[in-house]
Amino acid sequence: MKPINRSAVALGALLLLLAPSSFAQVSDWKEIKVPALNKFTIQQPTKITLPNGMIVMLQENHELPLVSGYAAVRGGSRDVPAAKTGLLNIYGEVWRTGGTTKQTGDQLDDLLESRAAQIETGGDIDSTSISFNVLKEDFDPVFDIFIDLMRNPEFREDKIVIAKNQLRTGIARRNDDPSQIAGREAVRIAYGLDSPYARVPEYYTVDAVTREDLVQWHKRHVHPNNIILGITGDFDSKKVEQRIRKAFGSWAKGPAVTTAEIKFQEPKADVYFVPKDDINQSSIRMIALGTTRNNPDYYALQVLNEVLSGGFASRLFSNIRSKKGLAYSVGGGVGTQFDHPGIFMLSMGTKSETTAAAIDALKEELTNIVSNPPNQLELDRAKESILNSFIFRFDSKEKLLNEQIALAYYGYPSDFYSRYRDAVEKVTPADIAQVAKKYVKGDKMAILVVGKAADFDRPLSSFGQVTTLDISIPEAPPGEAGATPAAASTGDEKGRQLAQKVAEAYGGQNKIASVKSVMQKAKVTMKTPQGDIPITLEAIYVYPDRAYQKMGTPMGEMVMVASPSASFMSGAMGSRDLPASQKEEQMKEIHRDPFFVLQHAGDADVTFTSAGTEKVGDIDAQIVDVNSKGAEVRWYVDPASGRILKSSSRAMTPTGPGMQVTTYSDWRMVDGMSLPFQRVISVNGEESGQSTTEEIVINPPVDAKLFEKPAA
Amino acid sequence: MRKAAGALLTFWLLSAGAVGAQDLASFEKRVTSKVLPNGLTILVVERPEAPVFSFFTHVDAGSTQEVPGITGLAHMFEHMAFKGTKTIGTKDYAAEEAALVRVEQTYEAYDRERRKQTGRDEQKVEQLRSEWEKAKTAADEYVVLNEFGEIIDRNGGVGLNAFTSSDETGYFYSLPSNRLELWAYLESERFLEPVMREFYKERDVVKEERRMRTDSNPIGKLVEQFLATAFTAHPYGQAGIGWPSDLDTITATDAVAFFETYYVPANMVVAIVGDVKPAQVLPLAEKYFGRLPARPDPQPLRTVEPEQTAERIVILRETSQPFYIEGYHKENAIHADDVVYEVISDLMSNGRTSRLYRSLVRDKKIAAAAAGFNNFPGDKYANLFAFFGVPTPGHTTDEVRDAIRAEIERIRTEPVTDEELLMVKRRAKATLLRSLDSNQGLALQMGTAQARYGDWREVFRNVERIDKVTKEDILRVASKAFVPSNRTVGLIETRPADAAAVAPAKGE
Repeated sequence: MKPINRSAVALGALLLLLAPSSFAQVSDWKEIKVPALNKFTIQQPTKITLPNGMIVMLQENHELPLVSGYAAVRGGSRDVPAAKTGLLNIYGEVWRTGGTTKQTGDQLDDLLESRAAQIETGGDIDSTSISFNVLKEDFDPVFDIFIDLMRNPEFREDKIVIAKNQLRTGIARRNDDPSQIAGREAVRIAYGLDSPYARVPEYYTVDAVTREDLVQWHKRHVHPNNIILGITGDFDSKKVEQRIRKAFGSWAKGPAVTTAEIKFQEPKADVYFVPKDDINQSSIRMIALGTTRNNPDYYALQVLNEVLSGGFASRLFSNIRSKKGLAYSVGGGVGTQFDHPGIFMLSMGTKSETTAAAIDALKEELTNIVSNPPNQLELDRAKESILNSFIFRFDSKEKLLNEQIALAYYGYPSDFYSRYRDAVEKVTPADIAQVAKKYVKGDKMAILVVGKAADFDRPLSSFGQVTTLDISIPEAPPGEAGATPAAASTGDEKGRQLAQKVAEAYGGQNKIASVKSVMQKAKVTMKTPQGDIPITLEAIYVYPDRAYQKMGTPMGEMVMVASPSASFMSGAMGSRDLPASQKEEQMKEIHRDPFFVLQHAGDADVTFTSAGTEKVGDIDAQIVDVNSKGAEVRWYVDPASGRILKSSSRAMTPTGPGMQVTTYSDWRMVDGMSLPFQRVISVNGEESGQSTTEEIVINPPVDAKLFEKPAA
Repeated sequence: MRKAAGALLTFWLLSAGAVGAQDLASFEKRVTSKVLPNGLTILVVERPEAPVFSFFTHVDAGSTQEVPGITGLAHMFEHMAFKGTKTIGTKDYAAEEAALVRVEQTYEAYDRERRKQTGRDEQKVEQLRSEWEKAKTAADEYVVLNEFGEIIDRNGGVGLNAFTSSDETGYFYSLPSNRLELWAYLESERFLEPVMREFYKERDVVKEERRMRTDSNPIGKLVEQFLATAFTAHPYGQAGIGWPSDLDTITATDAVAFFETYYVPANMVVAIVGDVKPAQVLPLAEKYFGRLPARPDPQPLRTVEPEQTAERIVILRETSQPFYIEGYHKENAIHADDVVYEVISDLMSNGRTSRLYRSLVRDKKIAAAAAGFNNFPGDKYANLFAFFGVPTPGHTTDEVRDAIRAEIERIRTEPVTDEELLMVKRRAKATLLRSLDSNQGLALQMGTAQARYGDWREVFRNVERIDKVTKEDILRVASKAFVPSNRTVGLIETRPADAAAVAPAKGE
């Protein structure tokens, strides 16, 4: 194309455009008549309740030669024990991929794909579901598979592995996108960290899920009396009803699903901050509790939400996006749910440099909606928008079916939405002012910011008490480092003997007891995708609970300290506290240190369990699993010398948990003890670094100041 | 242009008998197309399921129409098309018009001074900036905020939105069917006399959009760099959202020039689908869309991406998780081989039987997802066939690359099975069928086909073409395209948060 010569075309074109149009015979838009909408009554689905309590809704639609449907089953992730969070994600996947007793999931894949048919399953917060979508001609065989999956799923192990892999991938990636972080943390702030509505899967909760859990879940929940089945498409209702009665009629009732009572509490109106330095836009959320849809205030709240953020003329869009240019994405309102309070949330993204200005703007809108409630014009606009677009709630037979299933599921009246329409029509300015006052408590909402604090226009502390959230991804439950089944082991005699052997190599129990601290200097080469990075390391362990590490890297010097009084990281740009999970990891590191382990070999919570032999080089090494106050490490011991030739432990890596293996060599005598001076470290089977020790000093003078956090 | 013979299609007969009233023949009865005297094409699709309709306005201009200095302008104009007209969104247009001219004049003076490389007078910059600020404030006095969108909202409009891609710009929403005439007025009015009010505030909004989609999103960042590497000459390599410096400097005057050049009636297709009849729609279209003045066709794009002769790689080192993508240059969607790539994409990526899923996700367990997709980042010009993989924790982009390459090697050298090919063909028919149940979906699909190929029937004919793809076609196309010298690789490598990143937390 021809490049546009900007300065030349410039004003000429603008003026050309501004010149009066020669097609001006069209009248003003206000004079265009809007005729009455054609009378329209949509066909309601047929509802059948089987004697065993299963509810079936059939909605014929002959537009296209397709049939689709889904069954909603009561019980969802809110009913899963916290320690197995993620169970429903795995169940929702493996229900389908694990196949049936007759056919594997792979066989089903081939069968269904060859017919361009789909059957999928899923898990949600309060329900699970199984759905199908099929060409009309294939309905019979595919519906057979649908029934078989509902009645006889097999949950094969190989598919559990895949589902867990996918879930772990999601966990590893959950901090990559700032709006995802904000969305997740906002829910945790609104409902509370321990609320079943806010829990997120962790590596250890995913690990804890077993096939038996899936089998049991299915057994407890998938009963006809817990199911609503809806089918829509090109079929004959009479025939399909017969089919359904035949398939499900003899299915016996099961126990009803109950959900334990879940408590809700208004979140504290504090400021929560998630530091993320590699972004230039802050994700901001204002958070409080919302309400339920059976609340009589629901209708006025919907109108209020419309005024606040429904469309182009809404207050948030007009004032914050159009007038102030502070955001591309801004919105929110008082959220509602059918059977539990929704979240009252405002969301926006703004450049780091206008973070405080954006929060000011949101607060101003909150104050304003109460002090300057919507006038008649705003109310009319909001109501017209809701009422004129009402037709889009039921402009297809499938939408109507889905809506009726949802209403039946939550026990709402089937005419809920026509009542809704009437109620919205009746909302007055006084109603809306009253709900604004009741639900918008001035600007007292929790504030959450994900962003780069160094670039903020004002510190967040100007909005109140700031809590910095630790979003690092933990490997083990907080406070239960390494709480895996092995932790329950009390050890065995052979294990203890091996530990004894190791202690001898270290110069015996007395010698070990005399070690109060160890200083070690080493040159480390870290293998990274960017090439080898040389690091100088100075590490001082002061037993039992203090570690100091100074690293010289090409990017500058960094110090990391973990101790009961202060745990921090400091470098050229200042210092900050270690997140709890990282501190935990550091403490585990001390607990796995051979001096620590051997000094505490007599403690009840330090156990040694033998685990066979394995070749390390030419030596048949004896394996001992050490559990040292919750921290686990496996030692490969040379039975002749008592040296630890190799050790392995689970560790956190930048891409998730992995198995870290260290191989030791070059033993030298230090202060009467034989200690290794060479280490090769690998993670998940790939070499990640080498370290050459230059100096080890036992009981060096230690400057207490090293463990004090430098002033910021 | 791919004009298939006019005979009615037989593809439906090839499927296993699954046909109701939804073949091309039935659509022939329900679709009316007309070219207005000014060159604008209107497409009416009757689907009287409920008293509503949806539409799609396709403008054959996207970010490929941009040159250095004005990247992001197509998208910027799309935003401006919501800002109203001379009659909508203003309190007093005559006065506003003068005020807007002043905004442009003061901005140009300010912009010239601030971007001087030598002899810039900072004091003068500040003074000119302040004059521009004053001019903007004066112009804002006349604005009725967001009136265009408000009219649509109040009349029950839903899904009001638009998009700008490399190839085109699209506008769409749905209304109750008694608002047909109002719609014809609004949609034509917006392209008859758009007014560039609040341009510079909207530019800030677009910069926020860039921060959200690209700067603060690792995959967004990678894709921008990947395309900039894969295309050395063709504008597919430019940032569609705009390079930051261009977003700092594009003007309302630029936007008007872009509009004048490309928003030409002959460059536009309007597809309307739902409870509407041609007898109602066509007179309204003539009355309202007929107002748009005919203007000369814009020049076709000149630049063609030269043949790639050396492999390229772009690596992003981020604290986010690893990601892998590789792309191979290929012809555009009008080329006869494009359906072969469609088949390859389906075979490689669609569902749990796909080759990449079975190899990388199911068997090797090194990826959570992997796929190959056609026509990236657009299909109007020669583009890329790309493969991507999302490594699972503990696995590397190298492993993902090797496994993807092994599957590419298979498709290049071994004929696919009869079952696989049959599955892909069945699926193409079913996918088309499943896409016909929404007014908005139909409007988008048929409007785009009409614009791109000059005939909405291409939506159906494409399935017929897929049905004719052979094993030999796949071998021929794959072995030609998927070679190292034609490849660009992009990846995110995870780096640990380094020592230098230890910054004081000012937030506390």
